[in-house]
Amino acid sequence: MSKVTSRANGGQVRQGEAGGASPLSKSLYSLSLKPSSRPRTDAASDVCPVCKSSRYLNPNMKFLVNPECYHKMCESCVDRIFSHGPAPCPIAGCARTLRKGKFREATFEDLKVEREVDIRRRVASIMNKEESDFETLKDYNDYLEQVEEITWNLILKIDVDETNHRLQRWADAQAAETGATRRTYEPDPSMAGASGVVLKKGGTQRRALETSSGNTTDTNVKDKGFNFHGLKKKVAPPPEAPFDPFDGWSIAPQYYTLQNDYDADWLTKHKREKEQLVGGYQWSDFYNRALQDAFGGLTVFIDDEIRARDIPSGDAAIGTERAATAAAGGQDVNMDDIF
Amino acid sequence: MGVSSPAALSPRPKPPGSHLAVPDRAKALSGLSRAAKPPASAPITRTPIDGGEADMAEQMNDALRSQFVSGARLGEGTYAIVYAGHYRHDPTKLVAIKKIKLNADFKDGIAMDAIREIKYLSELSHPNIIKLHAVFSTKDQNLSLVLEHLPLGDLEGLWKNKSITYSSADIKAWSNMLCQAIWFCHANHVLHRDIKGNNLLIAADNTVKLADFGLARSFADPGAKMTSNVITRFYRPPELLYGCLHYAGNADMWSVGCVIAELALRQFFLPSETDLQQLSVIIDVFGTPSEESWPGVGSLRYYQPPPNRSAVKLPQPLSWWRGRLPLLGDDGIDMVRGMLAMDPQKRLTAEQALQHRYWTSAPRPTKKENLPNEGGGMKKEGEDLKRKGGETPAGAGRVDKVARKLDFGGM
Ligand SMILES: Nc1ncnc2c1ncn2[C@@H]1O[C@H](COP(=O)(O)OP(=O)(O)O)[C@@H](O)[C@H]1O
Ligand SMILES: [Mg+2]
Ligand SMILES: [Zn+2]
Ligand SMILES: [Zn+2]
Repeated sequence: MSKVTSRANGGQVRQGEAGGASPLSKSLYSLSLKPSSRPRTDAASDVCPVCKSSRYLNPNMKFLVNPECYHKMCESCVDRIFSHGPAPCPIAGCARTLRKGKFREATFEDLKVEREVDIRRRVASIMNKEESDFETLKDYNDYLEQVEEITWNLILKIDVDETNHRLQRWADAQAAETGATRRTYEPDPSMAGASGVVLKKGGTQRRALETSSGNTTDTNVKDKGFNFHGLKKKVAPPPEAPFDPFDGWSIAPQYYTLQNDYDADWLTKHKREKEQLVGGYQWSDFYNRALQDAFGGLTVFIDDEIRARDIPSGDAAIGTERAATAAAGGQDVNMDDIF
Repeated sequence: MGVSSPAALSPRPKPPGSHLAVPDRAKALSGLSRAAKPPASAPITRTPIDGGEADMAEQMNDALRSQFVSGARLGEGTYAIVYAGHYRHDPTKLVAIKKIKLNADFKDGIAMDAIREIKYLSELSHPNIIKLHAVFSTKDQNLSLVLEHLPLGDLEGLWKNKSITYSSADIKAWSNMLCQAIWFCHANHVLHRDIKGNNLLIAADNTVKLADFGLARSFADPGAKMTSNVITRFYRPPELLYGCLHYAGNADMWSVGCVIAELALRQFFLPSETDLQQLSVIIDVFGTPSEESWPGVGSLRYYQPPPNRSAVKLPQPLSWWRGRLPLLGDDGIDMVRGMLAMDPQKRLTAEQALQHRYWTSAPRPTKKENLPNEGGGMKKEGEDLKRKGGETPAGAGRVDKVARKLDFGGM
């Protein structure tokens, strides 16, 4: 993006700004100083430019604006003109198509500020990196500086189409990186004229933007719209492994294979006993236990256990680890019958 | 092994002073552990302690005992009183000290419960099984078990505490920890025989830990008889109520099924007043057992056939389960019904239960750190406050160190 140093705002040059002053306060300041084209007497600001009714006669009168053009008019005019569907703005020389749903109360007395704040809010929703996303504080400040420039371009209506497209590509790239649902950058509606779309229906414009930017993310050319120095690569968290009901534990014999059945005279007698079966006695449990008892001690080294024991007790991890190795080796413990 | 018997196949003596340093007791235990008889007739002999002389074991016991400081009383069980405690050298390392009550029946020995608890806990090491740190004897010749401290109550307290709300995913997380614990016991051939909500204690990090091994034993040899008078009544499987003497791990699995159903129901699942009534409560749900549905059931000691055809009950249909335990979902209901099969041969084993699709179907079990508990959320709150208070970076005074950023999000 080309660095814009001189802006077409009445020849105002944004250079050599005082260090601490925020650009917004700067711009608010300059806007408030700029003489309004229309003499702003109290009476004028309280009269609806459409129906000429005055707040003096109707103290409950409310003024609304539509961010398509920021032309102010009273609530009853909005009701009257736009209740039956989109209609052209009644202010002479405007004629933008407005929809009733987009009207809202003006937050700021000065509608230029209203518009600037809208733009800033939109840009901030896409350009939402934080200091921790950058290698250094300088990189972060450079980033903020660039974001400020982007914002100014939009406010001052410079390269609006190009900037909007890049913002959308950036939004797409961010969404792709984090795996989050992608966020649509909503371009400045008051700039619709610049891209030649005057009457837009049901978000046609937005959809057009989406498809065009969709193409760019699909191609291998990774045009993210912007490049910021020192931006840490976002590592998308690895997809969560499926839940393991055993939590990684397994017990399998290492030194023998367990058969389904074993033949021994003294066992055969019991195997036929109904009373053994009816209570759910499991022969496999018995074979397993007998073999574990027989082989269990084979790879147990007392010295190792003493060393392991001397690590201060109370550390659950150690006990667990030891049991895990013991268990994995099928070298588990011998437990005698009490009764 | 804490309690090593002379004829052990796998002699793994714990070095002196580690888990059990009570030689006179140990001798009595080793005699006991060979005896396949009820405790009352077990040959308990107490070797008198040699007075005066500096007995090495005695010294080691004292050294071990002095490592711990005991404090407030935490709870009382049937054979023990549990106190809070900590390591003397580090008061932040908490323990629970379970002091075995002096028992009139075992004046010259140790209560069977204590022997079992020490024996099995010293062998089982798994995150979902309470850890036994040490055992020592006190001056009055009584045993104390040093256990890991589990301060957040138990599973029964959780479902009874109506100020706590919890979800299907929470139930699945708790149930899984319970199933892992019992799987590990069974894989190491230990029957617990007293699984119930209030023996499932909860650690500070919300881990469920199986505790109270006072009724545990090894799996029996073929033909060897076990007592059928185990497992708290609400959780006792039908084969034990019928007086069966040859049971296996699947007896514990019935209790596991009851505990999971209880968590989902927030009530006791199969409550009753007497052992006989317990059977009829079970039959009301699972139907009257028959030779077809449970081969051999008629041969059990206390089995009584239904007096007439009209007394035969049918099992409740799936719709009944769906209405009763909606929080488990169809997969959970299928697993719990598998654990609660009347015929123990048809019951899910612990391993089969852990292989059930319930665990991997939605919802995924809640992560431990997000589980509700009875401890309140004080810690988290405190951390949030800290962060809010710390908004101003340390070097705020120096403009060049501060990121220049305006926030329009809130406008
Ligand atoms: N490790 C522990 N941490 C905290 N409290 C415990 C601990 N162990 C036991 N308790 C408390 O003591 C009570 C009795 O303990 P338990 O081991 O169940 O004894 P019993 O075998 O006599 O039933 C428990 O219900 C619990 O409230
Ligand atoms: Mg208990
Ligand atoms: Zn008007
Ligand atoms: Zn207009």
